[in-house]
Formats: sequence, C-alpha cells, structure tokens
Amino acid sequence: MKIKVCGLKQPENIAAVAALGANYLGFICYGRSPRYIGALPVEVLAAIPASIHKTGVFVNETAQNINLLIDKYGFDTVQLHGDESPEFSNAFRNKVTVIKAFGVDNEFDFGQLENYANNVDYFMFDTKTSGYGGSGKTFNWDILNNYRLNVPFFLSGGISLDNLDEVKKISHPQFYAVDLNSRFETEPGIKNTDKLEQAFDIIKNKTLQMKYGVNEHGYYGDFGGAYIPEMLYPNVEELRQQYINIINDADFKAEFDDLMKNYVGRPSPLYHAKRYSEKYGANIFFKREDLNHTGSHKINNAIGQILLAKRLGKKRIIAETGAGQHGVATATVCALMGIECVVYMGEIDMARQAPNVSRMKMLGATVMPASSGSKTLKDATNEALRDWIANPVDTHYIIGSVVGPYPYPDMVARFQSIISKETKKQLVEHTGKELPEYVLACVGGGSNAMGMFYHFLDDEQVKLVAVEAAGKGVDSGHSAATTFLGQEGVLHGSRTILMQTPDGQVIEPYSISAGLDYPGIGPQHAHLYKINRAQYVSVTDDEAMQAGLLCSQMEGIIPAIESSHALAQLEKMKFNPSDNVVICLSGRGDKDLDTFIKYFGY
Amino acid sequence: MNRLNQLFVSKKDNLLSIYYTAGYPALNTTVDIAEALEKAGVDFLEVGFPYSDPVADGPTIQHSSEQALENGMTLNVLFEELAELRKRVTIPILLMGYFNPIVQYGIEKFCKKAAELGVDGIIVPDLPMYEYEALYSAHFINNNLSNIFLVTPQTSEARIRKIDALSNSFIYLLSSSSITGGSLQLTNNIEDYYKRVKAMELKNPTIIGFGISDRATFTKACEYANGAIVGSKFVKLLGEEDYMGKIPGFVESIRS
Ligand SMILES: Cc1ncc(COP(=O)(O)O)c(C=O)c1O
Repeated sequence: MKIKVCGLKQPENIAAVAALGANYLGFICYGRSPRYIGALPVEVLAAIPASIHKTGVFVNETAQNINLLIDKYGFDTVQLHGDESPEFSNAFRNKVTVIKAFGVDNEFDFGQLENYANNVDYFMFDTKTSGYGGSGKTFNWDILNNYRLNVPFFLSGGISLDNLDEVKKISHPQFYAVDLNSRFETEPGIKNTDKLEQAFDIIKNKTLQMKYGVNEHGYYGDFGGAYIPEMLYPNVEELRQQYINIINDADFKAEFDDLMKNYVGRPSPLYHAKRYSEKYGANIFFKREDLNHTGSHKINNAIGQILLAKRLGKKRIIAETGAGQHGVATATVCALMGIECVVYMGEIDMARQAPNVSRMKMLGATVMPASSGSKTLKDATNEALRDWIANPVDTHYIIGSVVGPYPYPDMVARFQSIISKETKKQLVEHTGKELPEYVLACVGGGSNAMGMFYHFLDDEQVKLVAVEAAGKGVDSGHSAATTFLGQEGVLHGSRTILMQTPDGQVIEPYSISAGLDYPGIGPQHAHLYKINRAQYVSVTDDEAMQAGLLCSQMEGIIPAIESSHALAQLEKMKFNPSDNVVICLSGRGDKDLDTFIKYFGY
Repeated sequence: MNRLNQLFVSKKDNLLSIYYTAGYPALNTTVDIAEALEKAGVDFLEVGFPYSDPVADGPTIQHSSEQALENGMTLNVLFEELAELRKRVTIPILLMGYFNPIVQYGIEKFCKKAAELGVDGIIVPDLPMYEYEALYSAHFINNNLSNIFLVTPQTSEARIRKIDALSNSFIYLLSSSSITGGSLQLTNNIEDYYKRVKAMELKNPTIIGFGISDRATFTKACEYANGAIVGSKFVKLLGEEDYMGKIPGFVESIRS
C-alpha cells in the first residue's frame, strides 16, 4: 500500500515529513483551504527526494493556472478535488499523473465514475462534505465493495492511528494508497512526524505481509510454520496470540524506544567508510551495530523479547547460544530486569568461547552445557526446547535469531528491523535518498540480515545480498553455506533449508566464526532465496579473516568475524561509482581476538 | 479398518504397548524384538526411527537414537528390515519419529511404503495438527495409516475435541508436559486432567504414555485410559546383556 501525506505548507515540516519516506506528498493550491500553500518557495519542493511524488491539489481551478503551478513547483501529479469533467482531467495526462477525487457517502453512485475510467490514472475516495474534503471524518468503507472498475484508488478522509487497523482490513483489489491528513497534525498544515512515523510502520508492515511477509499460519511461501511437539503448543500459541498486540502497544513501544536509545545507544551510526569507498569504487556505508551495548545486533532482539516476557508474566528466561553473543545479550537484559536466566551452550562452544561464558556468569546467568549430539549450537537449541517443554507455564524462551517455530521468525525480524528503519533515514541525510543500490549482511540464522533487509524488501530495485560462511570451501566438507549445501526440510520448528544427509539427519556445519556455524537459516531467508528476492553467496574462512584485517587497518574498526564475511563479499562485486552500498557491521571483533591472533600470529 | 481399529474393538482395557528404537542396540533386530514382544503378550508396538535432533526425548532415547544412527539405521534400512514383518508378527505396529527424515524420504512415498509393509499408524511428535490437516493428511488417509496426535495436561478442551475428530484409532495422552524418560507423577493436577479427558467421552480410545515404567504406573494409567505405553524403560533393557532372553520377564513385570 502506498502512502500519501496531504496538506503540507511549512518548509521545515515538509523536509521532516519527506525524510519519513512517503510515496506522495500533497500541496493544496486552493485559497480557501487552511492548508493552502500560499507563496511557498519553490526551493522547498525542489529539495524533496525524487522518489517522492509531488502532488498539486486543485479545486475547480482553471487549466491555465494548473499548468502554471505544475511548471513552477515541478508537480508530477495533480489531484482534482472539485467538479472537474473527464475531458478536463484528461488534458493534463501528457504531463502529469492525474488523480480525480470524489466525496463519498452512503448514497454515492459509483456508476458516475465510468466516464472517468479512461481519463484519469487514479481515483480518490474522500468523505463527502458540504465543502471539498478536509472534514477529518471517515465514510462507511463497506461501500467500497460497490466499486468495480479497474482504476486503482486512494482512500482519504479521517484516517488516523485509531482506525488504521480497519484500513488494513480493506482487501479491495484496486485499493492503492492511503491519504493521511488532518488526523496527523499539530495544527492545520503542520504534520506530527511521530504520529506519521507510527502510521508508516503500521502500513508498511501490511505491505510486507502481503508480499514477503508471513501469513496467518506462519508461512513465507513454502517455508515457516510451527513444527513443534504438542508439549510446546500452549507456549507458542500464547506468543502467537499476543505478540502483535503487545509490540504494537504504545506502552511497550515507549519502553522499547527508551531502552534502545538510552541503554543500547541507538540509533547506531551509518558511517560513510571513505577509504573503503575509494578502494571499491562506490559509496560504502557501514551500519554500526558493533557499537551497540554488548557489541552486536543481538541486543535489539533480547530487549524486545524481555519486554514481551515481562508482559506475559514470565518469571524465568532460557536461551541458546553458539558464539555466546546472544547468550550475553540475554544475560544482560535479564540482569536489567531482575529475571532468572539460564543459557544453554554446547560443550564444545563453551570451550572455544570461554570469555563469553565468563561474561554470562558475571551477569548472573546460569550457563548449562549441552552435552548431547554434536555439542554445539543446534544441540544447545534442542536442550533449550527440552527445558521449555518441562517448564511450560513460567518460562519464556528467547530465541536468538529469525529461526524456530512461528511467531519467532517474524517477531525477531520485527525487533531487528530497527536496523533498516534507521538506515533509510540516515541514507537520506547522507545521500538525499533513502534507497541504496546494494545492502549486504552475513547470515547465520539470519537475524542481522533480516533486520538489515526488512524495510528494503518491498523496494525491489534495492539488491539484497546475504553472505553465508563457506568455511574451508563449499566442497570441503567443512562448511556452513546452507543455501548452497542444504535441502528443504524441518529444523527447530520451521520448514526451511538445512544441511542434512540424504536420510534427513542434520549435518553439523563448520565455520571459523561460531555465530555463522548453524545448519539452517530462518524460513523467511529460505523464501527470499527460493523466489530470488535476495542473492545468497558464501565467503570462506580465509576470505573473511583477510577482510577483518583489512577493515581494521583501513578503517580502524575491528569487526566480528561474522561481519567480516559480509565485508569480504565486497571483493567479489562490481559497482558503479555512484552506487550506494550498505553493509551491516553486525558485531565487533573483541570476542574474536583470540581467533584473529591465532590466525595471523599477531 | 486397520489392525489398530480391530484391536480397539476387541479389547478395551489394560492395553500394553512398547516403544523401542530401530537399529538399537544393533541392526537387523527390529523384527526379532517385535516377535519376542508379541509372544510375551504385548498388544501393539511403536518402532522409533532415529533422528539426530530428537527434541521431545530424554537421555535414554537420545542415546538409543545416536547409537542407531551410528549403526547405520536409516528409513531405507528400516524398510528393508520390515520386509518380513508381516510374515512373523500380527499385532499392530506404529512407526514413530521426527518429521525431517520423512520429508527427505518423501511424505507420500513414506506413507505408501509403510502401508505396503503392514504398518498401521504413524506418530510424528513434531507434526502438529494444523500442518497435518492442511498440508499432509491426504497421504495418510489414502494409505489407510492412522496418524496419532498427542495431548498434554495443557491442551484445551476445544483442541482435544478437534484432535478427536481428526483421529481414527487412538489418542496419545502424555502423562505430563515433559520429554520422554521422566517418571509418572500423580499430583492432583494430573489426576484432574485424566478425569477431565475421561469425562469428555471421546470417540477414540486413549492410551497414556511418557513415564510409564513398571506395574504400579501401568496399573494407575489404566484406571483412566484404555492402556499405556512403556518406552525408555524398555530401551534401557535393550542396552543390557541378553536382552532378548529378558523380554518375557520384562513384560510380565509390567502386566501379567
Ligand atoms: C556479530 C554477529 N553477527 C552475526 C551473527 C549471526 O547471527 P544472525 O544471522 O542471526 O544475525 C552473530 C551470531 O552470534 C553475531 O554474533
């Protein structure tokens, strides 16, 4: 669904709203409206990013004046909001896109639109008033079922945060865009950007849900679902029923936003890496998740889930961890909230990530060794699931990536989506537009990548690149390149792609980076892979280690070995000099110093 | 009507079922063990096929699965071993295991092959009701295989009713929310749960499993359900010397 914000008139406010990334901005050129633009300087409109359609709104204006203002302000769309005829409307179509607006009430006769159908690009249905719109009231949207032409329409009139849920339920095939106006203002013509931002979030989630998002049963195309034993059904079902309501609750949002800002240190910077840009011949940006408290993106999800667990009345938290980053993030938020924390970790991982074991213990968590199976991340996940089976009522399981049964993949993606949400805004500041040409991230289970892709999924022109760990090479028998080596199957509660034997036994992966050492990927990644929305590539241990060293010495940033995989992919890509490229620097390399030291002999 | 349905028509109380993992302690024992259990008077069997990540199982069955995988047990091998099943064994047999090996084998092919070999039903703990009903049930129904659903003390009455409607042989009542290998606990809550389910007068018989390990727990379970299943305790026996010779005594010790 597209978004139009209408009735702007004040320069700073226009710039602030433009930065939110609407699809259309509307400027009222009708003297009797309180939102009339008057003598608004042309530069204000010229500064709006080209990706946003600038719409002039007219009421029974002369063709001559409309043409004059189109030229003056560079409108690419006009909205005719009076009694303009089909022929009159059609006359502008060689220059601009034409929207014809109608006031609708219960008696509205959709038959009168037939003459317009071939003469305009869009209809707009607004609430019928004695004047020409602007009443702030809604009309009975059920009446839209009577509209049968195939011209797409904008819905206008009284749309607010309170009725967006209703708007989202409208499933008319021609429903194209919403028009937001008076209910998002501090005074006529001045928009409240906080409210607009909330509305954009709600509306865009809906768009994601339609195309790349999850359906009501937890599926992304063929992948996802909740393949869990009945013993886990009540826990997972409780989450499924509550998670959307809880995370959309104003109180939850306020607490989440506050912790993100004041505890985690967000927004994380979008850093323009100048020496990298020179080297690779494009504008390279690092999204600095490594600067978050606890050193990686994992904290975003841990904060979200601990707030959720509190609202579900849970008294005890369990988690699994591989490298220990998610375990540390979970131990941290449990300390913050004063909740008991048990982290399962494979015995082998405990030995190779000893400093993180100590960190978790110091934070007050109990670290339980997983000694079954291959004694690594997948077995830690099994042990956590077994614990949850035995403790169905008082315990919440904080899964660390976009894996597991529905709703986890969607829930974790939403908490991590703050990464791309911030990036879009920051890109406007750096480049004047919110869309880059490329977005890159490494994939273990896929949470930093999903967070980095999330708000770009529907912008099909943005190329998404997911980098898996090839280990010692995809053909070496020591690899974690899941999409390359895996087949479809079921792992840890979701249908996805996983590395397995022909008999369906899960294969233990290998990567030098413990955080990428997982035999599956989240189901949404499996879907994006299968439908080719994102490109999945892999990078070897050696390539990643070299990239980690290069980044340290060229940019003064020691990246996590996980993130170094994404950096290494730059070597294999060809860019145009004007390309903007964002890489998710998911974590910092402190935890990996031992491995770097052993590898390079420093 | 498959063998399971016939069994439940002819016998309504004190049904005893035994679970064991195919390929444990060694390959080529599946049918021998089945035959010995039938001779010892067991009513029906659950033959587990091993999986690398058995999340619903405790240490005993985890260990038997690991050992079976090491021995080379796969679905293909199991189906080869079962080729002579119906020449030697007449009691109903269920296959029990996790969903991923079935997906790899091919769900339709799996159901067909199992039915061909004389298998009567399937228990797949990680194949829940929605996914079964919406995506896969046709393959089970077309091959006359019963799919067995689990019910726990937390399962709501509405969901139990739905499970009853989708089932056509029996419903597997878990003695508690736990993984396999625990011990049956009879707190008030659990008794209430058994009574609650019994009072629902379901169309399918109920069999209690998880934590049934001796005569006392078996007898107790049979007060509330049509029978009970012994798993981990029997798998432990298979880890002992001369386990074949001990099978009659084991069954006797649970139900004479
Ligand atoms: C820094 C860092 N990046 C990436 C990952 C991989 O996880 P995901 O794919 O869920 O982002 C990890 C996991 O531990 C990590 O610590």
